[in-house]
Amino acid sequence: MTAIERYAAPQNLDEALGILQQGEVTILAGGTDLMPQTKAGRIAFKPTLMNIGRIAGLKGVTLDGEHLRIGALTTISELLRDPLVAQHAAVLAEACDHFASDQIRNAGTLGGNINNASPAGDTLVPLIVLDAEVELASKPNGSVATRRMPLAEFFTGPGRTKRAANELLTAVRIPLPKPGHVARFYKFGTRPALDISTISIGIAGIKRDGALTDTRVAFGAVAPTPVRAPRTEAALEGRRLDAAAIEAAADAARDEVNPIDDVRASAWYRKELIHNMTRRMLDHVAHA
Amino acid sequence: MNVAEKPVIAPDSLIGQRIQKKDAPEKAAGKTRYIQDMVVPGMLHAKILRSSRVHARIKSIDTSAAKALPGVHVVLTAADVPDQQPIGVARDHLPLKGERVRSQRDEIAAVAADSEEIAEAALKLIRVEYEDLPVIATPEDAIKPGAPLIHPAPLDADGRPQALPPKTPIAFAGKADNIAMRFDYTHGDIAQAEAESDVVVEDTFQLHYVTHCCMGVSGVIAEFDASGNLLMYSNTQVPFLHKREFAEYLNIDPSRVRIIQPPIGGGFGSKLDIYPFEVICIFLARAAKRPVKMVFTREEEFLASPTRQPVLLTLRSGCKKDGTLTFRQVHTLHDNGAYTSWGATTPFVMMQTFSSLYRVPACDYHTTVVYTNNPYAGSFRGYGNLQATFAIEQHMDMLAEKIGMDPLDFRLMNAQDAGEVTGQGMTFKSCGFKECLTTAAERSEYRKKHADNLANRDAPGPVKRGIGIASMLHVGGGAKIYPSDGCGTILKLDDFANVTLITGASEIGQGSETVLSQLVCEELGLPISAVTVVNNDTAITPWDVGVHASRTTFIAGNSAIGAARKAKAKILAAAAKKHGCDEVELDLRGGFVIRADSGEPLVELARLMRNLHFSDKAELVMTTFYYEPPSVHQDKAFKGDVSAAYAWAAQVVEVEVDTDTGIVKMTKVTGTHDVGRVLNRLGLEGQIEGGVVMGQGYALTENLIVENGITRNPNFRDYKLVTAPEIPEMDITFVESMDGEGPQGAKGVGEAPAICIAAAAANAIYNATGVRIFALPFTPEAVYRALRGAAPKPHWQAWKPE
Ligand SMILES: Cc1cc2nc3c(=O)[nH]c(=O)nc-3n(C[C@H](O)[C@H](O)[C@H](O)COP(=O)(O)OP(=O)(O)OC[C@H]3O[C@@H](n4cnc5c(N)ncnc54)[C@H](O)[C@@H]3O)c2cc1C
Repeated sequence: MTAIERYAAPQNLDEALGILQQGEVTILAGGTDLMPQTKAGRIAFKPTLMNIGRIAGLKGVTLDGEHLRIGALTTISELLRDPLVAQHAAVLAEACDHFASDQIRNAGTLGGNINNASPAGDTLVPLIVLDAEVELASKPNGSVATRRMPLAEFFTGPGRTKRAANELLTAVRIPLPKPGHVARFYKFGTRPALDISTISIGIAGIKRDGALTDTRVAFGAVAPTPVRAPRTEAALEGRRLDAAAIEAAADAARDEVNPIDDVRASAWYRKELIHNMTRRMLDHVAHA
Repeated sequence: MNVAEKPVIAPDSLIGQRIQKKDAPEKAAGKTRYIQDMVVPGMLHAKILRSSRVHARIKSIDTSAAKALPGVHVVLTAADVPDQQPIGVARDHLPLKGERVRSQRDEIAAVAADSEEIAEAALKLIRVEYEDLPVIATPEDAIKPGAPLIHPAPLDADGRPQALPPKTPIAFAGKADNIAMRFDYTHGDIAQAEAESDVVVEDTFQLHYVTHCCMGVSGVIAEFDASGNLLMYSNTQVPFLHKREFAEYLNIDPSRVRIIQPPIGGGFGSKLDIYPFEVICIFLARAAKRPVKMVFTREEEFLASPTRQPVLLTLRSGCKKDGTLTFRQVHTLHDNGAYTSWGATTPFVMMQTFSSLYRVPACDYHTTVVYTNNPYAGSFRGYGNLQATFAIEQHMDMLAEKIGMDPLDFRLMNAQDAGEVTGQGMTFKSCGFKECLTTAAERSEYRKKHADNLANRDAPGPVKRGIGIASMLHVGGGAKIYPSDGCGTILKLDDFANVTLITGASEIGQGSETVLSQLVCEELGLPISAVTVVNNDTAITPWDVGVHASRTTFIAGNSAIGAARKAKAKILAAAAKKHGCDEVELDLRGGFVIRADSGEPLVELARLMRNLHFSDKAELVMTTFYYEPPSVHQDKAFKGDVSAAYAWAAQVVEVEVDTDTGIVKMTKVTGTHDVGRVLNRLGLEGQIEGGVVMGQGYALTENLIVENGITRNPNFRDYKLVTAPEIPEMDITFVESMDGEGPQGAKGVGEAPAICIAAAAANAIYNATGVRIFALPFTPEAVYRALRGAAPKPHWQAWKPE
């Protein structure tokens, strides 16, 4: 085990970014990924351990003009209960309802789920279909700089993102849904609670006259990162959701994903699930 | 037949009541001190270095850096314990491996240090050089001609097999083939019975690895006193057998070994054998001259505690058109893993199910147990019966379908009755089998739902409903395996009429303390709170063979009753004398000596006790009893009435199968158990519910994935125990067949509830979908594959053995 040389618990963002800027820092939020991973030896602590849990500014859900802004430290339990999330991003709360157990939900944060960058991270797929952006802050030359990036572009591989070492993820921004917006999430686990997604599916769009536009489809646990599914989206975009369109989209989905075999499922079965459940979800969207 | 009259139950009787487990408040409050919580002054902490290879020769072991680490007291390898003796049923297992590792779990070195962390760090400093050997990953490969040997005979300097004295254990002498054990049983004339059959079915079934997942992982503390006596704090289920065996390994007198069991966090059979870690811990304590504690991590528990026996099983069954069973022919291949533990002996139980669950004129049973480089199986609640029942109860449905008979009627027609003696010599005294079948079927509306589901199989929609039934037979009055199947009791009453019940029977969470107290109180007319149970110290308690074979309530219960009746006789004699009446006119109730006819209290029992004690005669009431059941050992052909009573059950499982995903949801279990008599209703329901969930896990979710000898999912994330929301609705009822030998008429039930579930689930999935699945578990992907015709049927050329 690597020795932690310094423990920091900054009270505000400025202080935290200053510590990050010095380099060699491990960020600790809820610790529900970090602790098991370091214990199992899969990742090593950097010399400085920075607990961001006391930074009040990273907490809470607010409306910010045309966006819903969710602070990085918002826990999964808070997302489940939050009225603004329920109103503007219900599909995110739905995903949280399939997430881990109460104990983990109380500790685990949205920022942690995103930065852990697991292809099976359960908030990622719904956030992607909601066109979420991440907000990254740093303090490169004495003053705070912020940049934004679509979440769909943030991930580069399992456990890897485009976040620079001196950056902190401060919030997620979701555009407020337009009229007719529908969104669905499905997680396949073999049990109702405490399961890692074998696959997950997010579908969103504007439903008008039985057709979807601005279609977003994303899949979890079928690639090294959560992915958008452009060919499935194209198969759906603007088409009436009849049986033929749904079947075509489900076929496109199956062909588009390229999962692996592991202890949880074979690649073949994951593709079958993607097909069957995309079809089932679209059926529900069509009949809603 | 030996069936007792069911007595009119007195209103204040404890029998059949719902009585809270005596240890429940402590456990619920988190106050129970398990072995994990124990600290013995001066103790060291131990860790084991396990193999990083599945099958390899060990070229060298270098422990110098580990020994040099500050805080390390002892580092042991096989070279340091030249006196180590092989353990296990077949004496094929040396605790520390010096020359060869045969499985991933194999112990190479052990460290005792000031802390667990230091011991862990020391393990990382041990260097082992290996030379890999070919891995035997399946039992089929193990019996191929020319297969590499798992236990080859050691060679002398000239490369010839060493000359060793006869009876040298396999661990030293090796084994010339990979066959660990064979079992062969026959009754009746198979050829003739087959000729008389109108229908014959043959299938191969495949049963997988699962493991016990006790909340309390394996652990032990060993220490020697200044005179060299060994004291162990141990989680074992069989303290008296262990006492003897450890003494043998240490070459000391068994009287010098004392075993104390702290509260045990679950056993389910996993703590029935001696394992290397226990012997290694003793060696460390001997070398360190300090107490040494070793407790597994959860990962270690998955890797190095035993599994349920995996089985490849080919079954042929026949019947006549009128529904009479004609024969069964069974050949199983048991994957023994690298060493032999109790899993290898599960055929004892499996053959009972094939020969005797139903009346069958001819039965032919064969098992070949073969060595591989896989984990090894131990005993596990049900002891082979889940595997046997999975095959037999699917065949019952298949035969019924072939002859166009209702599966329930087919079972009823062939079911055993009281008074029957089976081909294997089992004699059914009390037998509520048919009542179990009809009750479970009626309460679940089995016939109607079975027909409705069939009619709806092709209805639109991805979710199909199914219902399936299965039944079971299991020993319910102990099992005479060891020279004695008995249990001893010492009972004393104090000056305040409180009872101390000293019993050989271990409590492993099954509720034995409570039910034994209840039986004693019933005799002595005392409240349950008047009893203190002492049951965990071999220096105090009288002998008992151990917790297994669903025997404790039956055997220890009869033993406790025996001691209590002796006490009662003494008390009544004293009271009769004092009050100038005949003792038959008296009884004990509500803490008083009463007149039996009128119920009139005569004297408070506590007062009588003091009178006795502080009188001129100065007497205390203390009694002893040893109960030995009237069962017999099986002969060499496996025939004999091995249990004093037999338990029966039928369980109906209802499922919903999502054909888009393969997810099987167990919606309801209706179970009817012939328990002889309900003693503690709450405890009984708890046993059944827990057993059903264990059976559900076996059927649907639990799967220890072993690939090329490597366990791929040694954690609760990927080894899926059933979680609370998955537990089905349950309707549990009891048939009280009043066994004539059982304590108050009761029979054992500990293992029974887990046995039928997988078989009934298989039948339910077939009812729902028309697809029969021959391999467990029914995980979503496995079911989905089967539904798509993409699952190859298990296959084994069992009938043409070389
Ligand atoms: C039993 C169990 C069950 C689980 N079940 C699920 C499940 O069902 N679905 C699921 O998706 N996940 C699950 N997880 C994983 C985990 O709980 C979630 O990913 C959780 O959201 C992580 O949040 P955290 O605050 O605990 O992250 P931490 O462990 O504190 O951090 C995770 C990673 O993100 C980094 N990090 C955290 N916050 C920031 C930030 N603001 N800026 C930059 N980097 C940051 C950390 O340095 C670390 O690398 C489970 C975990 C456990 C132990």
